[in-house]
Amino acid sequence: MISQEYEFFAPKELAEALAILHRFAGKARPLSGGMTLVPMMTLGVAQPEAIVSLNHIAGLDFIVETPEIIRIGAMTRHRTLETNTLIRRYLPLLSEAASHIGDVQVRHRGTIGGSLSHADPAADYPPIMLVIGARMKIANAAGERWVAARDYFKGLMETDLRPGDLLIEIEAPKLAGRFGTGYQRLHRIEGNFPIVNAAAVIEQGFRSARLALGGIGDRALLVEIEKHLRNGFNDAALDAISDAAYAVAKDAPSDLNGDTEYRRAMARVFAKRAVKLAAAAIPAN
Amino acid sequence: MRVPIEVTVNGKAHRVEVDTRTVLADMIRDQLRLTGTHVGCGTGSCGACTVMLNGRTVKSCCILAPDVDGQEIMTIEGLADDPRHLHPIQEAFVVNHGLQCGYCTPGMVLSALQLLNENPHPAEAEIRRGIAGNLCRCTGYQFIVKSIEAAAAKMASKK
Amino acid sequence: MPVRRYDQPQSQGSALKYVGAEVTAVKSRKLVAGRGQYAGDIYLDGMLHVAFLRSPHAHARIRKIDTSEARAIPGVVHVLTAEEVNRDLGPLLYTIEPEGMGAKRAQLFALPPKKVRFVGEPVAVVAAHDKYTARKAADLIEVDYESLPAVVDCEAALEPGAELIEPEWSDNLLGSRDFRSGDPDRAFAEADGVVKGTVRTHRYLGTPIEPRAYVVNYDSFEGRLTFWASTQHPHQLRACLADTLGLPEASVRVIQADVGGAFGLKTPFYPDEALIAYLAYKLGRPIKWIEERAENFLAGGHAREERLHYEAAYRKDGSVTGLRVRIIADVGAQSTLQGCWMAYVTASCIPTVYKIPNCEIRLQVAVTNKCPWTAYRGFGKEAATFLMERLMDEVAAATGIDRAAVRLRNYIQPEDFPYHQVSGSILDSGNYPAAMTRLLKMLDYDRFESEREAARKQGRRIGIGIAHELMPEGCTLPSSLISGYDGCTIRVTPSGDIKVLTGVTSPGTGNETGIAQIVADTLGADLKRIFVVQGDTEICPFGLGNFSSRSILIGGAAAREAAVDIRAKMFKVASKMLEVMPADLDAEDGQIFVKDARSHAVSFADVTRAIYRESYGPHALDFEPGLEVTRYYRTPNVYHQPQLHPFGGFSAYPSWPYGLAGCVVEVDPETGAVKILRYCYVHDSGKIVNPLLAEGNLHGGFAQGIGGAMYENLAYDENGQLRTTTFYDYTIPTAVDLPHFEVEHQETLSPFNPLGCKGVGESGIGAPLSAICSAIENALPELKLQLRETPLTPNRVWGAIERARRAGNGKA
Repeated sequence: MISQEYEFFAPKELAEALAILHRFAGKARPLSGGMTLVPMMTLGVAQPEAIVSLNHIAGLDFIVETPEIIRIGAMTRHRTLETNTLIRRYLPLLSEAASHIGDVQVRHRGTIGGSLSHADPAADYPPIMLVIGARMKIANAAGERWVAARDYFKGLMETDLRPGDLLIEIEAPKLAGRFGTGYQRLHRIEGNFPIVNAAAVIEQGFRSARLALGGIGDRALLVEIEKHLRNGFNDAALDAISDAAYAVAKDAPSDLNGDTEYRRAMARVFAKRAVKLAAAAIPAN
Repeated sequence: MRVPIEVTVNGKAHRVEVDTRTVLADMIRDQLRLTGTHVGCGTGSCGACTVMLNGRTVKSCCILAPDVDGQEIMTIEGLADDPRHLHPIQEAFVVNHGLQCGYCTPGMVLSALQLLNENPHPAEAEIRRGIAGNLCRCTGYQFIVKSIEAAAAKMASKK
Repeated sequence: MPVRRYDQPQSQGSALKYVGAEVTAVKSRKLVAGRGQYAGDIYLDGMLHVAFLRSPHAHARIRKIDTSEARAIPGVVHVLTAEEVNRDLGPLLYTIEPEGMGAKRAQLFALPPKKVRFVGEPVAVVAAHDKYTARKAADLIEVDYESLPAVVDCEAALEPGAELIEPEWSDNLLGSRDFRSGDPDRAFAEADGVVKGTVRTHRYLGTPIEPRAYVVNYDSFEGRLTFWASTQHPHQLRACLADTLGLPEASVRVIQADVGGAFGLKTPFYPDEALIAYLAYKLGRPIKWIEERAENFLAGGHAREERLHYEAAYRKDGSVTGLRVRIIADVGAQSTLQGCWMAYVTASCIPTVYKIPNCEIRLQVAVTNKCPWTAYRGFGKEAATFLMERLMDEVAAATGIDRAAVRLRNYIQPEDFPYHQVSGSILDSGNYPAAMTRLLKMLDYDRFESEREAARKQGRRIGIGIAHELMPEGCTLPSSLISGYDGCTIRVTPSGDIKVLTGVTSPGTGNETGIAQIVADTLGADLKRIFVVQGDTEICPFGLGNFSSRSILIGGAAAREAAVDIRAKMFKVASKMLEVMPADLDAEDGQIFVKDARSHAVSFADVTRAIYRESYGPHALDFEPGLEVTRYYRTPNVYHQPQLHPFGGFSAYPSWPYGLAGCVVEVDPETGAVKILRYCYVHDSGKIVNPLLAEGNLHGGFAQGIGGAMYENLAYDENGQLRTTTFYDYTIPTAVDLPHFEVEHQETLSPFNPLGCKGVGESGIGAPLSAICSAIENALPELKLQLRETPLTPNRVWGAIERARRAGNGKA
């Protein structure tokens, strides 16, 4: 149970939320779905002085399209990303990843913004963010800024977010038409975080290709694969991708779900599997 | 810190004052005395605390009570008030032995309700995914799956 | 000594109408509606909440405890430490006295006065107006610890010079036991071959979804303590509480609330139970405590973790002629729980269903700085099964004989029963070859080889495994309140309704329904008019609650004995009313009728009317008034006095159900991930009273067995810190992770039970360990894997595959 007392705020306006976060200078935690934060408080791992609920602010839960991009409000629930038609059409990797998070109840409540702010190194979203070229919009009492996914994830549960900051939106280019995508994850039981996960996006004709892995370091990491696919998709390319993944996973953690040696080996396996899936999914036209 | 909130539970409006440390499950149990909502882990894993929040299943041990101000909740008690008139899902659980100790059951029934609301004819694999957020130690899930299949058939035939 | 046998199980009572029928569980309607009454659902006026401060050290001396900061918090009513509580309370009572098992005793107190012996051991308790304050205050208690070396390995624990955990003992050996038969040395000398190795079970636990929960109230004016508990053992708990608190046993009332799963874990005596009872007594206020999940992992009682070093001598024909086993069990710190005796059961079950004439079995039970074992479904039998089944597979591989054929070669045959195993155990009955034949048919075993090859051509690696588990039930130990008897009162009301009060309890499995079925058939009553009451020491006859599948096996038999007496008396009165001999009567649906003239009948209500309203009338005057009977049943086929028995030794179990599991798995050799495609089980626990409930129970056994084999793990680090304290880390399988189960029943009636029952509650949990190992090995035959350890995580399976690939063999 939560034993530490704290102040609770449920602002109706974003500006008010940002002002409170500013005032507490890092000792307040924004609360979205709470699927990680509340258990952390229950276990005594997180002991904030204040909680700023974002659940009563209008305008943070949206999915909209422009001709080129999809914009996602940070308070969008996982279940919405899983089922939303725009996401399924233009960012299928994201709906696929969302469908694996926790369980139905967790997906009903948990949000993409919350998950990306927590930045667990084995979460489903981070590799996806890297390969789809997402950008994060971060607000604070002083203003707003955009950060590219590859600059957003900094280390173990560490992001570009600083005290007083709030992730409010994610945007990514539409990936339909000439892209093939693939997402693969290995897990112990349904609903658990992946041990290792991998996401790949490959453009028609191998003009561009991106691969990212999770669970193999302090954060999700990109694996440079474009050069290996320059001469087409073949066994040599897969072997080179596998070696590259193995090298990227050199600091893979060791825990009860998988030791370092295993995670590095799985980096190879899941890199290849995600790339194969993506390559097979490239539209023919 | 204590916070006054207004919340509708099983169609009835309540005004309660909650300690901010109270999670929704504890408010429902300790303050409203609706003890059909159970707590098995407190960390959002077991699903015994599943309730409907604004019509969607959530784990009430991971929601802060002050955060549900103005929201609508349904607990297992809201599904049936009279032992002679259980919901068809509950009836199917009884007939097919979809429960033993009954501790996970209220959450399991609500997850089944959520599933059948969205997918009236689920395949076995879809049922299993639909209840994956509810741990059961007694049944091995098989008669739960069977109960939900039976309920789906019954509910479809009534429509 | 002649052992009572029941050759005609149904000679007394009406024709079976309900027994054997799929009757739905009586409690389901309320539970499915969320109207159960679990202990946590009880709220009393003025109730205080408690929180425990638990040791963060695996092994440490307590130098000083400073509670001043905790006491200063508003809302805190009392802070309890060892100094105070141990002034007032005696040592904790053991429900099983160690001396009866030839083991050492440690004098244990509600709070440890000098040192802590595992992470999670209670050190202090706070009572406060609300649970948040109690928790907060507990965390503010300052304890000055002097850290001691932690003993975390059971073999290292037994080495000379190892750090001592119990200061009064000269070593860390809780107890040992040796069994020997035949001439093992000769068997090994004459063998065609020998296999040897080590099998390990890992540490896991029961994990009911409802943690432990209690509400206590002490009425100081009446001098009565009422204790509502999520417990399996109301009467034992009453004995423990009364003894430790120094209260008259009859002034303590334990009421079992609805129990949200137990699986052995909710058996006394936890120090936590003594402490909350003491606080209620001392403060004169009701106390409530609901365990948090992390506490359950740390201090709710663990199970498993045995090492079994083995060598077996075999002949070319696959017969195993000799067996040497050395078991080292890691039972954690000594406690007043019943868990450590599981190790003795492991030893006494070997060599399970096989006839091995020359055996040498040696058990050593070591204490370590880990959470004590508590009872858990399987109760040590799973380790014996794991050993023997891995061994049979290994002999099959060594001889080139099929795995099923090797088992058939070594089985105890149907005509060998009752069969005396090396430990002194007497296996009551069974037909193992028939069960095996049935399983092979279910699996279409003979065709599997070609299926496997076809799958392999498609790039899929599938394998089949089988395992035969032996699950004795009705555990009966000397010098204990774990015994083979139980009581039942049947009370028929003036209107003819039947109240059944049992000494056995239900942990949530629904045995009250089965008992009602037994009573209904014995009496010839309408099932709807039977009301079973369990779990209240104030109103139920003395009994030993629920463990070891005894609720139907023993409680059902006691209910039957009581019903036989009620029936006899009702028939006597009815015979006067109908003017026939009692022997000419039969009963069905609450009607007592003349066998040859069914319309010549009286209802139960007619009979009870005569008994209660016309006690001086023509039909009842010759008989003692009232219609109420209490009977105790004691199971035969158990003996605790070796001198009374020609075989010597010691037999704790009257009943030996068994089952055969067969599974088909798919292995991903790249990742080590394993998926169960089929899970078949042939089950024989004698007469099945309620197939619906029995099958549901079996499914739960499979789920926990597969959970233990593949997913669940309590991992300690080298300092004795538990790394798995949430369901994120301790992964219980979900509905997605488990397969569909296929079950067939075989009913070999027990000759030692009036109903022919053997007990169904633990079946299914033992076989998965070996069956899944066997199937994985079979999926990758070229690697010659030998899996000997669990859980079969992807990492572990992958590691075994990698090592086999590198080394050309697969010992793992």
